Amino acid sequence: MRNRVREQRTQQEMSQAELAAALGVSRQTVISIESGRYLPSLPLAFTIARFFGLTVDKMFDPDEEEAGT
Amino acid sequence: MMAFIRPRLRKPLGIALAGTVFAGAWALRGGDAWQLSIAMVVTVLVSAITTYVRAGEDNDEGALAGSRADERQKLLSLRSRALGWNFAMVAAFIGVTVGVAVKATWWWPFLVILAVADFAYLLGLSNYGVAQEDPADDVGPRPPARSPAS
Repeated sequence: MRNRVREQRTQQEMSQAELAAALGVSRQTVISIESGRYLPSLPLAFTIARFFGLTVDKMFDPDEEEAGT
Repeated sequence: MMAFIRPRLRKPLGIALAGTVFAGAWALRGGDAWQLSIAMVVTVLVSAITTYVRAGEDNDEGALAGSRADERQKLLSLRSRALGWNFAMVAAFIGVTVGVAVKATWWWPFLVILAVADFAYLLGLSNYGVAQEDPADDVGPRPPARSPAS
């Protein structure tokens, strides 16, 4: 599953640590989500999408494979 | 009660408490066991301090040691515990089987471990809702829609 977390974060010029603090998760979890190694729970997926002002299906695309996986 | 203890201190205090109780058991045993008891207290203190230091690190192990794990780290911990449980069960099964085969007297503690683990597993299924499934609400075909003219 592809996601746009890294893309949105870099657009907003945020570090992974800043995003992690804003979402209430660890920096390691943000790294895992961005690399596609971890699929967040539904509540966390909504939190991420709302944080960037997008819908969940815009943020996470099940039809696209993660690059490099 | 845990809410009054700082998250970073919870695991080290748990280790210190459990280790002190175990060391106390050795001390109560009498004889020369008090020496082992003192060595155990020292080991437990070192372990508790090491856990406290690790809890300050910015990584998954640190988050788990410091009781501040997020959902992914909790999942990691849960899966690791499940793996540990599987290994313990295999070890207990080997223990009881070998114990019975060689006519040893020490086979039954392994059986107790297996029985307790199986009971805990069933308790978990019950507590986490396996037996509380709601009935499906889509049984049977829907009645056909009636025409307004009929």
